[in-house]
Amino acid sequence: MLTEILSAFQAVATWQNLLIMTAGIWGGVIVGAIPGMTGTMAVTLALPFTFYMAPVPSILLLVALYKGSTYGGSVSAILIKTPGTASAACTALDGYPLAQQGKAGKALNMALYSSVTGDFISNLSLIFLAAPLAILALRVGPPEYFMLMLFALSTVAGVSGNSLLLGVVSASLGLLLATAGEDLYGSFRFAFTDDMQAGLSVAPVLIGLFALPELIKLIVFRAANRDVAAKLGDQQVTRAEFMGSLKSILRGSGIGVIMGAIPGIGPSAAAFFSYGEAQRSSKNGENFGKGELEGIAASESANNGACGATMIPLLALGVPGDVITGVMLGAFMIQGLTPGPLLFQTNIHEVYMLFIGMLMSSVLLFGAGKMTMRMFSYVSHIPQTLLTPVVLLLCLFGIYSISSSMFDVTILLIMGVVGFLMFLMNIPAAPFLIAFILGPMIEENLRRALAISRGDPMVLLSSPITWIFAVLIVFVVGLTIRREISKSKTRKA
Amino acid sequence: MNFNINRGPLLRGVAIVVFFAFVALVLIPAYVPRPAFIPGFAPPPDMWPRTVSITGIVLGLVVIVGALTGRVAPQDPIDTDGGSSKTHLMRFAAVVLCFAGFIVLVPYIGFLLSTALLTGAAIYLAGERRHWILALAISLLGPVLLISFFSSVLGTQFPMGALTKPFGF
Repeated sequence: MLTEILSAFQAVATWQNLLIMTAGIWGGVIVGAIPGMTGTMAVTLALPFTFYMAPVPSILLLVALYKGSTYGGSVSAILIKTPGTASAACTALDGYPLAQQGKAGKALNMALYSSVTGDFISNLSLIFLAAPLAILALRVGPPEYFMLMLFALSTVAGVSGNSLLLGVVSASLGLLLATAGEDLYGSFRFAFTDDMQAGLSVAPVLIGLFALPELIKLIVFRAANRDVAAKLGDQQVTRAEFMGSLKSILRGSGIGVIMGAIPGIGPSAAAFFSYGEAQRSSKNGENFGKGELEGIAASESANNGACGATMIPLLALGVPGDVITGVMLGAFMIQGLTPGPLLFQTNIHEVYMLFIGMLMSSVLLFGAGKMTMRMFSYVSHIPQTLLTPVVLLLCLFGIYSISSSMFDVTILLIMGVVGFLMFLMNIPAAPFLIAFILGPMIEENLRRALAISRGDPMVLLSSPITWIFAVLIVFVVGLTIRREISKSKTRKA
Repeated sequence: MNFNINRGPLLRGVAIVVFFAFVALVLIPAYVPRPAFIPGFAPPPDMWPRTVSITGIVLGLVVIVGALTGRVAPQDPIDTDGGSSKTHLMRFAAVVLCFAGFIVLVPYIGFLLSTALLTGAAIYLAGERRHWILALAISLLGPVLLISFFSSVLGTQFPMGALTKPFGF
């Protein structure tokens, strides 16, 4: 194995391959940082270029774009509260308050360190644990999916702010909105117009709910110092701060690897899950949502941790876990490679080259992140009265370009108004978004599980995996209720 | 200046109950069709939205009970310029009008001009008066640059207006 790895390293470490990966990482970071532009878009756009490339560099280019865009999503989440990708939504919860406190550089650094760590661990897992994780992923059926997603939904407790009750109300609104469109068996629900038949896309809901309320707040309340540029402040993450977040980074990376290996879950759910866990176990749990570096670390390590792991079912089983790996499957096929168990027998040299290239891309991600950080940080210098309308402009163009649909632009603006009204009613937006993303997965798997069991709800407790999650859910709910009672007593005292 | 808005916990609870009740009693029967035949024991399409709506109603009732018994979570004050509630309401109405105006205008004057107008309006409404040259440049050049970028890189065709089509946008 060692000889093969060394041989693969020699084949990958050429200046052409390094240039391709560097271009992919930089391109991905920039695309991810632009509101409305997604990693899927970047990977799809790059696909035609891979036709003229050798198999391994072409896949590495796509992987680099994927990784870069996942990290890039955190940049806009931190600086302008506009997550470039859904998986960076939790990053915005702590990153933006830190940017407002003049610590944008510190937040970006923590996002980079945790992203690179998560990515590196994910790549190592891909190399050493691909087979067992793929087998585990195969054992996850609808009941297990449902319980896992239900557990991920318990993150809502951590992002509910002052009131858990209003957080759950917000999550219910998100779950309800997610039901719009065609369901599992072809019924069109809440299809008020023809456009509604396809349901609502994540991007306009996400950006509308997070970015636009900031503009409306700025216009309506015109807070003091609105036209004064924020200071960059202290930039570096100290050793103590990094070590204080290390536990969350490692746990987040682990969560990312496991959830990324299960087809259909992806980085967003992993980031929510990791954030919730970090908040529950951290001694600074009360500071989450107010500018806590550990929150950024938990979210970013998990979403980047999931990136490499999404390749596990693709390579080991030939099953694409999400849209991006679906595009990559296409790239493999175009290059004459067929992902699946046979790939490890017929093209083992290419597989090792891919592994080595992915490890190298972690290092390149660090370099690109460091170099672009200073450039992105200057966004904080622009006065809010100019910056926020520019964000609106970027959002309008970005959202329209995703599906060439004015319907999505309308949803973006409506969700902006909804987000502002929720703010006035003290209803937090983050639980809404988490539920909106997880909702379809929860419902689909619940209905599938019930259909398989001929309506018997006990199917939800039919395997050891479901039992583990059931116990975890009970534990978390119990802990949350206890914490709420204790908070209520403190308030009264 | 801090603006301690009374966000009316009781009213909030009532609004939550009314919204979810409206969904459960009006929208679901009208807009969630049940197929004539459902294979096997598959739960019908209205099962999940109905469950969520009923949960929402219960949560709203809990909010109402909390408001009546004085168990309300603390609310963070909003930082404002000290304007009256009427001023704030007027500004909010202006935002909604601008958004609605944008959607209405796109078919007539196209995406380019509509986004330029909306951006300019947003900068003006945000209270920017000092950097007016920069504001003008962002409003006019911003959309032009973005439309060039998205058209050339992604091949996106942005909607042209019925009135501005002869001018190429």
